[in-house]
Amino acid sequence: MPGPLDGVKVLELTQIIAGPYCGVALADLGADVIKLEAPGGEGARRIGQFAPGESKAFHALNRGKRGAVINLLTADGRAALHRLMPHFDVFITNVRPGVAERIGVDFETLRAHRSDLIYLDVTGFGDRGPSAGRAGSDVVVQAYSGLLAADQKVSPDGSPEHITATAPADYVAALGGAMGVCAALYHRSLTGEGQRLSTTLLGAGLALQTPWASSVPVSDSVLVTPLRETMNALRESGATYAEMIQARRDRPSQGTAFRLYYGGYPVQDGAIILGALTPQNRDQIRAALGITDDPTDRDDFNAIGPDADATTSRLEAQIRTTLMSGTMAEWMERLDAAGAPASPINWPEDIADDPQVQAMGLMPEIEHSLTGPERLVGALVEMSATPTGSDRAAPPLDADTDAILREHGFADDEIAELRASGAIGSRDSS
Amino acid sequence: MAGALDGIKVLEVTQIIAGPMCGVFLSDMGADVIKVESAAGDGMRLLGQFAPGESKGFHVFNRGKRGMVLDLQSDGGRAVLHRMIAEMDVFLINARPGVPERLGVDYETLRAINPSLIYLENTAYGPSGPSAHRAGADIIAQAYSGLMAGDEKFDEHGGPDLITATTPADFAAAFTSAIAVCAALFHRERTGEGQKIDTSLLGAALTLQNAFSARLPASDAILLDPMLAGLAAVRERGGTYRELIGARGGIRALVGGAFLLYYGGYQTADGAIMLGCVTPANRNQVREALGVTTDDDPTDAGDFNPLADGAQEVVAKAREVISERFASDTTENWIARLDAAGAPASQVNIPEEMIDDPQVQSLDIFVDLEHRLTGPETMIGAAYQMSATPTAAQGASPPLDGDTDAVLTEYGYSAEEIASLRASGAIGVPASD
Repeated sequence: MPGPLDGVKVLELTQIIAGPYCGVALADLGADVIKLEAPGGEGARRIGQFAPGESKAFHALNRGKRGAVINLLTADGRAALHRLMPHFDVFITNVRPGVAERIGVDFETLRAHRSDLIYLDVTGFGDRGPSAGRAGSDVVVQAYSGLLAADQKVSPDGSPEHITATAPADYVAALGGAMGVCAALYHRSLTGEGQRLSTTLLGAGLALQTPWASSVPVSDSVLVTPLRETMNALRESGATYAEMIQARRDRPSQGTAFRLYYGGYPVQDGAIILGALTPQNRDQIRAALGITDDPTDRDDFNAIGPDADATTSRLEAQIRTTLMSGTMAEWMERLDAAGAPASPINWPEDIADDPQVQAMGLMPEIEHSLTGPERLVGALVEMSATPTGSDRAAPPLDADTDAILREHGFADDEIAELRASGAIGSRDSS
Repeated sequence: MAGALDGIKVLEVTQIIAGPMCGVFLSDMGADVIKVESAAGDGMRLLGQFAPGESKGFHVFNRGKRGMVLDLQSDGGRAVLHRMIAEMDVFLINARPGVPERLGVDYETLRAINPSLIYLENTAYGPSGPSAHRAGADIIAQAYSGLMAGDEKFDEHGGPDLITATTPADFAAAFTSAIAVCAALFHRERTGEGQKIDTSLLGAALTLQNAFSARLPASDAILLDPMLAGLAAVRERGGTYRELIGARGGIRALVGGAFLLYYGGYQTADGAIMLGCVTPANRNQVREALGVTTDDDPTDAGDFNPLADGAQEVVAKAREVISERFASDTTENWIARLDAAGAPASQVNIPEEMIDDPQVQSLDIFVDLEHRLTGPETMIGAAYQMSATPTAAQGASPPLDGDTDAVLTEYGYSAEEIASLRASGAIGVPASD
């Protein structure tokens, strides 16, 4: 059975994460995705390079695609791309605002070659507003959108530290973009109409923290307004970044008792994370830990009352001591038996061998033509009627240029001529 | 102009974030989304409650929907859902495995009523495997998937601290779910065929860190295997969590310390600044703005080898120079210089203040809504724009039981039937509560 996007043809001119991962998501759904690169290759090929032009990040973010090199700085290269366009349903790009126009891959130009084209652009800050032209990358938008401050991580010397577990704005822009492309394909199948989709890293960064950034005045008057006043006062007094973050950490919150059973604790050989969301979950954990005198879930407990802090501190110390008396395996057995949400802390580098990850087939093994076998995180979803996933690895630079051009009506002598002129092909090949 | 999913009907039995946020995305694209709750309401209503049954989290994760209360443990309530499902395009649920079967809303049961239904089930660990039936939540997926260790964040006791900026696994699962629903709608339009879609918090969390968790022997032999050996050695001697994280070396092991010189944060005279360089061209722009010479920082010179002996000292010396420069002037002045050079950089903003930001305002990211019970509110709207089928927030979140009668009337129930369902407790919140 083919994937749900079987037969959909996607051309991408993308770099780093936000654009490329959108292409992976579409490839996993069955689309035929071709990655277009400049003669020097995409930048991610050289971040953590282990063979010439090949990096693990590039492999992970470009699997499932074929690759072509066209030099869009040449008139012949642009003409070749425009000749390809009528065959493509979707075009994805994440270049800086203004660059697409300069190299002839803006929406209006490409739409002239394919009237029902679905065109997605991802930029850092969008196409209007005071920051429209600014350079953006994931970490810049982490800082700009408030995500980084909300993560409250400060280096030992007091500098802000970014979220290192992932590139959150990049990935969410990629996922949001793929969602929009799929919805636009559905709309086109009903109406025949194509369109332009725009997403920004800034919007993605904000989408991830909706409860913090949103404003509900009735609720905010209790919790957010005092925090904003504190922040302003600190800024005026010349407080350091670390002091500002500490003030945000210490803000009054209804969630202090909540965090007793929603957070991490060290145990003898590592750490256990508790994830209770409901009073039932908390009862399960209390049962597994033997905690009997916790009033925080009783109706008469006032979470922002004067005694709340002392109560939660006492309980926190009790939970901490209790958990320190056992190992990860011992606690997981008891917490699982109680049905409580909990996990040992795992390592990203170990997770490929995890039995649950293997049972779910989340990290399939594929073969790269230059660098051999690899196990990468696979498709996002399982679908019963239209299976997802792709067994194709990331393309080596320039690997499929000739085949793709031939497939779309270019004659062998035309291809040879384009290659000789430098309009197609990598620097090495010309 | 209508949204891309105009006319699509969605029924959701969802809770907390992963399921509800998927419903918001579909609603922003024009779908008619009905949220079904039990009489107790979605647990999110009680997290940070500011009015009875109303929390900011619930408002954010359920805007644009209508709400109804059905008792799916009663035959009457189940029958209402089964009668409505015949007219639905999409059903969303995020509960523990086994719960849909118990409530009579599993795929086989609903498909028997509506063969072309698109059914999405989101769970913590996925539908099969040794952990399938374990309880989950975002923080559990953070810990289990490696995301939390990957964030290398400590609490004041030296233990792991969670990613607090967002609930990454929940959001990624909501996005992947919405992607799959849209792709399935496209497929159904071409073939008439519905299907079941499975997503998991675990899979979503792995997606977010695929460069770290991937295995690529040809690369790992150089970069990853020494790190894994280091981790094993610390574990062997019973090292602390902090020592384990130290041995991991994190992103440094993957891309080298030199990369982080221009991809990370510094203190300025009056605050802090973040640099986000991913290319040598970006780094040169920053060096130029700072007046950092090749002598100060040779890491982009052709002959610099990041794996050579002494490379770390060179990086540390360069960091010192860059730190001194940034400390000598204000954030505003540095941003002006870096912008002029075209370098990616930003001040560190506070999330609660973003609503006033001029760039955010010019992109219309926030939407003003009016909640029936609690009044005006300003929420973050769709993360992207579509030229032919604009995305638009459809309204605020529903109060508990807010639209039950109206929805049932629309689906052909008479006033007498509704009254009798309400009297039996099959719909609505019991009056005694």
